[in-house]
Amino acid sequence: MSASLRVGGIGRPADVEFTWQGRVLRAPAGESLAAALLAAGVRRLGEGPGAPRAAFCMMGTCQQCLLRVDGALAQACLVPVRAGLRAEPA
Amino acid sequence: MFDAAVIGAGVMGCSTALHLARGGMRVALLDRGAICREASGVNAGTLTMQMTRAALIPYALRAYEMWLRMPEWSDGGTVLAAACPGLSLAFTEAEAAMLEERARLRRAAGAPIELVSGRQARAIEPGLTDRVRLAAHCPVDGFASAYLTGRAFRPALLAAGVALFEKRPVFGIDREAGGFVLRTGSGPLTAHRIVLAGGAWLEPMAAWLGVRLPIRVLVNQLVVTERMPPVLRTVLGVASGLLSLKQYANGTVLIGGGWQGIGDRARGGLAVRAENFAGNIRLAAYALPALRAARVVRAWLGLEAETADALPAIGPIPGVEHAWIIGSVHSGYTSGPYFGKLLAQAILGAEPELPLFPIDRLLAREAA
Amino acid sequence: MTCLTIYDVAVLGGGPAGMAAAAEAARRGARTVLLDENTRPGGQVYRAAPHGFRMPADPDRRAGEALRAELARSGAEVRTEHCVWGLGGGPLVPEGSPPEPFRIDALHAGATVTLAARALILCAGAQERIIPFPGWTLPGVIGLAAATILLKAQGVLPGRRVVVAGAGPLLYALAAKLLAGGAEVAAVADLATRVDWASTLPQLLLRPGLLARGLGWRAELLRRGVPVLGAHTAVRAEGGDVLERVWLAPLYGVRERAIACDALCIGHGLAPATEATRLLRAEHRYDRAAGGWVPVLDSDQRTSVPLLYVAGDGGGVRGAAAAPASGRLAALAALRDLGRLSARAHAIARWRARAERWRAAQAGAAMARLMSPPPSLAAVIPPETVICRCEGVTAAEIEAALADGATDVNQLKHFTRCGMGPCQGRLCGEAAAELVARRLGGREAAGVATGRLPLRPVPVDALLGTFDYADIPVPPPAPI
Repeated sequence: MSASLRVGGIGRPADVEFTWQGRVLRAPAGESLAAALLAAGVRRLGEGPGAPRAAFCMMGTCQQCLLRVDGALAQACLVPVRAGLRAEPA
Repeated sequence: MFDAAVIGAGVMGCSTALHLARGGMRVALLDRGAICREASGVNAGTLTMQMTRAALIPYALRAYEMWLRMPEWSDGGTVLAAACPGLSLAFTEAEAAMLEERARLRRAAGAPIELVSGRQARAIEPGLTDRVRLAAHCPVDGFASAYLTGRAFRPALLAAGVALFEKRPVFGIDREAGGFVLRTGSGPLTAHRIVLAGGAWLEPMAAWLGVRLPIRVLVNQLVVTERMPPVLRTVLGVASGLLSLKQYANGTVLIGGGWQGIGDRARGGLAVRAENFAGNIRLAAYALPALRAARVVRAWLGLEAETADALPAIGPIPGVEHAWIIGSVHSGYTSGPYFGKLLAQAILGAEPELPLFPIDRLLAREAA
Repeated sequence: MTCLTIYDVAVLGGGPAGMAAAAEAARRGARTVLLDENTRPGGQVYRAAPHGFRMPADPDRRAGEALRAELARSGAEVRTEHCVWGLGGGPLVPEGSPPEPFRIDALHAGATVTLAARALILCAGAQERIIPFPGWTLPGVIGLAAATILLKAQGVLPGRRVVVAGAGPLLYALAAKLLAGGAEVAAVADLATRVDWASTLPQLLLRPGLLARGLGWRAELLRRGVPVLGAHTAVRAEGGDVLERVWLAPLYGVRERAIACDALCIGHGLAPATEATRLLRAEHRYDRAAGGWVPVLDSDQRTSVPLLYVAGDGGGVRGAAAAPASGRLAALAALRDLGRLSARAHAIARWRARAERWRAAQAGAAMARLMSPPPSLAAVIPPETVICRCEGVTAAEIEAALADGATDVNQLKHFTRCGMGPCQGRLCGEAAAELVARRLGGREAAGVATGRLPLRPVPVDALLGTFDYADIPVPPPAPI
């Protein structure tokens, strides 16, 4: 991605590293995991029955951003990124 | 005028109506709601000999075959019945003693149940907790998706010529020369014979005919997880009866066990009790630790009917010619289709293959 | 129930209605608790940015901060990161028993917390409605409100070249914000026509600030040459793994046009969140202009259940500006009903809140009317389109179930599994109901889903606590 999806003019904490399917990515600490993955170019979060999984509602109701975060099921749009976070498809 | 009107379109009513129609009768099947939306559509779908009373085992075995073969006798209708072994678990000495006794009685009644150790149980079901002291193993067990029952019966009923009246409440029954007049939500309906098949509502239905039949109403809670990886290959129960577990092909795990919610005949299933919801789930995770990784997504209620001696109410209604009753079978979903077939035999004038359960024994005496 | 304290008032949902309700109740001396699942209160419109983020000031942010500050000063106990999954008590008691205090079960820090309250104010807000169309499940397609949340609360663009579709002021607010954030807005497709918009002018004049902002957004789009298509909708999204283009078409015409893009932000209005009011068996009615099924409320935000109140969009979509006033009214009614406020004091206090609610709600209601999707959107869904994402149920399967005799949304669920997945019908429910309604002659006939706990998926792990097998009461053995 040539230009960032992160909007300028916003003060953000320092980046931390987290992983998606083992791949190391970076995002400001506290950014929602859904936003962080989107900014890193990751949109397809898994496969549901009949349709791909991707963040849709950004408010914790659609369950389409469901992932395994450090082993536990969680909705990416409700999880803040922290250093060392491990995310996998659900 | 219909040859027969069946009131209540649960599994008992549907099976009775279907077999009567195939026996040549002109049948009306009525329900105040939609087909199979009460107990028959919301139960845990367990097809087991291990929760069945010894006296009902012969019926349950035959019904089990019917469920597995439903597409053959129901014009392709299916509840996706799956056969698999069943394990009933004992965690304490008292439960082990109870399990031994019950396994013996059920085996004597024809169910191929054998006792196995906790270790053997885990060989059959690797996901089991290691706290199992003793287990009863039955190779003839299984489960169905109860919510499919209505859709499974409907085409067969219509193909057989049954006049299905959903969302048609009945308020009372009057007797006229030649038959019965049902007072319904959209006008009277007449029939030579009536069959009361109203499950938890059999008590008020019997009262329409002046018959006092006390029926206890249980408000059972059920819980289901979202889809999860395979963690269970058998149907699990516990000796105390407080847990049932099964995993469907789509990965969801259904948790039952008769934990009570809030409800009654008048209001239906009103509310799931949070403490019983949690208790039921804790017990499930105790028996099957892999459940801890799952999320529970739904809970609901079903009203189950129970007679005073917890045996079925199936047979003619004493004192009312051409009136019959079917229902109140504890764990009745398993045996439902067969009981309907039996009653239809009797109504059609034949001797039923196995004895019915006449209700004379249950009728309340009038106050002196 | 082994809870230690019984609150006078519990407020569920920390959006503008909830924050105002809790602040009002606490300020007047009621023992008050507010529960919200997020880290900080704010709801959706005033969603707080993550800790440590410094966002540019804007009117919404200032309004949200003001409400948060008011809440913090009020003395209300604020319990964030509490996700309420269970409600009980109130009218949900055995036959013949008197009503009980409300019981609230919530997830917090991986375990369950149980609270009790005499009065309950539900401020669950609304959620986005989407009527599916081919390709709507492609990664890159997100909700309209969702994109707004992503941009305002997280400062992240949904894509570099974005199509925005739907209706209402959110459309233009988002498009303008996307431009300001450095994205290209390839097109705006508005379901509404100019005539539709013009009809809202009388109500918008009551909100000159909102009107001015709206005109400013439109002016910016004009300045930047963004095509704005009235009475248009997205009919198809296409791409391989992710979204690559969107086809837009007029509602009442056939000429389609393809727009290359990497994000489509689309929503078909907001639907009030009524899971909790249905669970508590409050009376509901269908009001399409207010977003769909809504609880029946009196002029003081009371539901049909004693000591149960609803404020904010959960009672009918009226917008964020009307929410605080409705929250205050609910709190005042609760205190009155609890006997903590005299009739006279109540009459005096509610006068101003009612006036404020009325004024704000006029524009909000007009906007909600604009956002109500035309029934034609549900009419043209191709059969192979997935309606229920959690269970993979297509429009064809729903039509087959209806042909097989499914007579309401609950029976549809039984016939197809639509709505049985973890979203609990939130994503698919509106679309499925529209399909049922087409067959049965209306949404009232289609019915509404039965409300049950859990209100959200609950991890089994969070329910375990300290479990001892010996604690389970041994039932009398079943007869053999």
